[in-house]
Amino acid sequence: MTSIAPARAEDRPLLYLDGVSVSFDGFRAINNLSLYLEKGEMRAIIGPNGAGKTTMMDIITGKTRPDRGDVFFNGTIDLTQHDEPAIATFGIGRKFQKPTVFESHTVEDNLLLAMKGKRSVVAQFFHVSSRHEREALDGILETIRLTGRRADQAANLSHGQKQWLEIGMLLAQDPKLLLIDEPVAGMTDAETEETVRLLKEIARDHSVIVVEHDMHFVRELGVKVTCLHEGSVLSEGTLDHVSNDSRVIEVYLGR
Amino acid sequence: MISQALLRGLNGKAMWVVALLVAAAILVPASNLLLPAGHPLRVPNYLVPLMGKYLCYAMLALALDLVWGYCGILSLGHGAFFALGGYAMGMYLMRQIGDRGVYGNPDLPDFMVFLNWDALPWYWQGFDMFWFAMLMVMVVPGLLAFVFGWFAFRSRVTGVYLSIITQAMTYALLLAFFRNDMGFGGNNGLTDFKDILGASVQAGGTRAALFAASALMLAAAFVVCSAIVNSKLGKLMIAVRDAESRTRFLGFRPEYVKLFAFVVSAVIAGIAGALYVPQVGIINPGEFAPANSIEVVIWAAVGGRGSLIGPIIGAILVNVMKSYFTVAYPNLWLFALGGMFVFVTLFMPKGIVGFLSGRRWPGRPARTTTDAGLDTAKPSPAE
Amino acid sequence: MAASLDPGHRLRPLPNCPSGTSLMIRTFAARWLACLALGLLFSLNGAYAQEAPIDPAGPVADLVRQLPDGSYRDRGAVIGELAATGDSALVPLLRTLEAGELFLLTETGAIVTIEPEGDEVVATDVLTGEAIGTFGEDAVEEIRVNNLIRREVRAAVSQLTLMSDSPSVRIAAAREMFNGANADSIPMLDEALAQEDNETVRAVMEEVRAVAVLRSDAGPDETAAAVDTIIERGGRQALGILQASLGSASADVAPAIEAGIARIERNLALWGVGQNIWYGLSLGSVLLLAAIGLAITFGVMGVINMAHGEMVMLGAYTTYVVQEIIRNAAPGLFDYSLAFALPLAFLVTALVGIAIERGVIRFLYGRPLETLLATWGLSLIIQQAVRTIFGASNREVGNPSWMSGAFEVGGLAITNNRLWIIVFSLVVFAVLVFVMKKTALGLHMRAVTQNRRMASSMGIRTPWVDAMTFGLGSGVAGLAGVALSQISNVSPNLGQGYIIDSFMVVVFGGVGNLWGTLVGAFTLGVFNKLLEPHTGAVLAKVLVLVAIILFIQKRPRGLFALKGRAVEA
Repeated sequence: MTSIAPARAEDRPLLYLDGVSVSFDGFRAINNLSLYLEKGEMRAIIGPNGAGKTTMMDIITGKTRPDRGDVFFNGTIDLTQHDEPAIATFGIGRKFQKPTVFESHTVEDNLLLAMKGKRSVVAQFFHVSSRHEREALDGILETIRLTGRRADQAANLSHGQKQWLEIGMLLAQDPKLLLIDEPVAGMTDAETEETVRLLKEIARDHSVIVVEHDMHFVRELGVKVTCLHEGSVLSEGTLDHVSNDSRVIEVYLGR
Repeated sequence: MISQALLRGLNGKAMWVVALLVAAAILVPASNLLLPAGHPLRVPNYLVPLMGKYLCYAMLALALDLVWGYCGILSLGHGAFFALGGYAMGMYLMRQIGDRGVYGNPDLPDFMVFLNWDALPWYWQGFDMFWFAMLMVMVVPGLLAFVFGWFAFRSRVTGVYLSIITQAMTYALLLAFFRNDMGFGGNNGLTDFKDILGASVQAGGTRAALFAASALMLAAAFVVCSAIVNSKLGKLMIAVRDAESRTRFLGFRPEYVKLFAFVVSAVIAGIAGALYVPQVGIINPGEFAPANSIEVVIWAAVGGRGSLIGPIIGAILVNVMKSYFTVAYPNLWLFALGGMFVFVTLFMPKGIVGFLSGRRWPGRPARTTTDAGLDTAKPSPAE
Repeated sequence: MAASLDPGHRLRPLPNCPSGTSLMIRTFAARWLACLALGLLFSLNGAYAQEAPIDPAGPVADLVRQLPDGSYRDRGAVIGELAATGDSALVPLLRTLEAGELFLLTETGAIVTIEPEGDEVVATDVLTGEAIGTFGEDAVEEIRVNNLIRREVRAAVSQLTLMSDSPSVRIAAAREMFNGANADSIPMLDEALAQEDNETVRAVMEEVRAVAVLRSDAGPDETAAAVDTIIERGGRQALGILQASLGSASADVAPAIEAGIARIERNLALWGVGQNIWYGLSLGSVLLLAAIGLAITFGVMGVINMAHGEMVMLGAYTTYVVQEIIRNAAPGLFDYSLAFALPLAFLVTALVGIAIERGVIRFLYGRPLETLLATWGLSLIIQQAVRTIFGASNREVGNPSWMSGAFEVGGLAITNNRLWIIVFSLVVFAVLVFVMKKTALGLHMRAVTQNRRMASSMGIRTPWVDAMTFGLGSGVAGLAGVALSQISNVSPNLGQGYIIDSFMVVVFGGVGNLWGTLVGAFTLGVFNKLLEPHTGAVLAKVLVLVAIILFIQKRPRGLFALKGRAVEA
């Protein structure tokens, strides 16, 4: 990966993080982090606990403001200048580490809320589902295998199903870039297989960043891997390259 | 488009509530005015304004539930919006007294003459016109809610912090309205009303009409709330209640959702206050007391928050009990009210409606849902 | 109160007293304590020493009885002899004589004052102070005075007072002359000054003499010097004297007087601000007491306890009960009543608090809004219970003698009970900080707050810690109740008035931060009292509330907010 930042905005990749740092009460969560993601690329991010994976996502989605550094989306959009809703409407969707769905809503309503469309309060009040929306919704339910449970409350889903529902909400949102935090935590092997298949399908027409601990899962994805450590990039390349990197081994296995 | 959206508010259950309220709006006045005194079916004179008062309280509880039950905003200051609506109505009624006051001043209410004021303050201008006063009944509470909510929600003040500053808001207003200099009658408030729209407020016909207006306005408020709750906006409100930050990552702005609900709620509360004042004949700063606002919360809690019928049932039930207790066992009422707070929060978190719908009703499938979302998604103490 | 060695010591403004709250908080407390100690030392005012009454059988009494006899000249000599006795108990009698209000009861020869009662008069013996009966108007005869007698009396009075052996009597006498001094007083003052060797007394006498000079037709130089002395003295009295003299002042001294008036007014305004700051600190200490328990239950545990005000109220009623028992059983112990009330109030409210925590709140952890409602319900029940037991009316709780009274420091009027409450609030604060930082309970509390599961797995009994923390917070509220019973009415509604204010203090200061509560309480108190002269009490309160509401919306986590990822979650 080249570390020289493209000079012109339109030459920048889809996601462009350069020299980003942020600290909480003196603790450097992210330290001079640079990361570039091309359009249509799927990237896996690994790293030990506290490596800054979640904080990085917080910065991209506007939840945390970096102390220093540039964060650009789509070449020209300076993400540090926008808040979460604005960034979401630019086309960045996020699935949280702990599945976060609207528990007292049905599966269907969860997807309906996420469905791409106007976000203003007035538009919500006058919203009437179009045929197109209903078809899209049916399709997503099919994809995430929850058609049979569409009228059930999200609270009653299993952990794995909640993960899928959240991925389904991402699909409904139809963002340009998906940030997916630990999608297979708490899943059975069979469910993990399904998730790999699902993500690969999604990656066909979306850019994706997946954060995951499960090396087996990362290997199955078969994409470029970035290893974070103490808030900056430790190693980047194929999984084999990264997992043979002596520094990575040191970080994971300890000295 | 609006009528279509409102029609959505008239789904199955809502139809019944509206029908019931409309029937009450016709039957109670008819029974009171047409049947001869002593007839067993006649609603006695004293009961008409009393029932009207309960309906105003029900409307206030409904307004509170729209923000508390659906948006998770526990407002401890809704009494302020109610009182402001009441004051706007009271100002109109004061102006209608004209020169029939004790001092006989055609322009100034008695208390201003008493304070040696020589002209009507600017903010009293226009209140001699009914339409203007009615506009203010909605605009003043709505504006306060808008300004307050704009600051509070945008700076992400949530949970108990929000509750406490809403309480501080009504407390500040309480203190302010106690001041004579404010020009709202100070301690005594506004009273000794004579006419409303040319009819004596004491007359039987007026009281019956006010009752009917209360019932119809409650029905209208119910339809509006129902339309909101049953729209996608309503689903979004619940989403904001349960996981506010998650909605941001979907591109929604929860602060505007809350602001919308808060303002609508304040306007409904203001209208309720405006209907309340001519029926009880007085409005004074006591209505701003924080304790009043918290009492409204218990009405909604007893009836069942997160449903629109619950707060109406709760408000009427608790106030009927209050009317009974304060006469029969005046010393026990506060024990009962306090006990109700503790009991409902500990044992009936979803109120009467939740309690009943948890049981099997004939012809209705039991809801298997646990509503875990209500409890697990509550803000943690650290928030 | 500690007796000063030199009761006549002139009071001066204390150095280093903070004039605002901008000082660093730690040194703030320390300096205040230092200032208070100094204030106590300097505070004794020069009261008349209580002297024995005139012995009716002694030689002085014989002299008094000679007052009506003989010519004016003879009687003037008697007055001179009276002055020579040096008995300052004679001063009121002499003043009465000067005013022409002393009578002879012709029947018995007693010297009396009279009170008319219908057609008759009630006579009181001036020597014994006892009423001796009702007489006809003819039975008494006025002891006549002329200018000679008046002069003798004034000289005698000044001799008895300005030249008394006791410095405190001399200083009081001089002060008393302040308003009445005129050209006639100058010789007397000069004589007193010639003998005076006490610097403090001299200073006061010089000031009085300056007033006398100002009112005489002395030359411009002397008058200018007098004006300077008066300006130097300062105070409201000096201001009045200068303003009165302005009309008759010559063109030479008028500008100096005007400048002096301006200077004194500026000084007075400064003292006025100081006084308001003092009131603010006093209010702040009350807020601190009410809020500090809340800072623990709300700030540390995250539990909203709307019944907190009722804990304060229970503390106040405990004081009431303790005082009632002492009044009936052992009145001599009354001055120690608070010593009994404090531990008892702490115990009672802590137990009630623990009962509330175990009975209600523990089922509602993690549901703050429900906790708020349930505890509000409890507050209604507690209020009504107290109303049922003690009645709805105010109960009288007395101040022990050491808490009553007041004194002055420079231009500040300071009441003892307020002073003690400030001291008490700071002591309670210090003890709490110590408990939280240095004891096992405090360590456990903080551990449970930060990570309940971890604390629990390390063997800390979290339910016990919850109960103890809540008990501590409630107990402190009880202590606040004891203090509040000393300055406000004790009624079932006592607590309600404080609950919103206390929440404001905690939220303003920053939740979970005791120092924030301290700063918050005093800031709000002082801010409130500084606003009051300009806006009136109610509007000041409204403005403070509005300011806090705006402030919270700007900084939702208060003045001393915890920062970082943990609180963002």
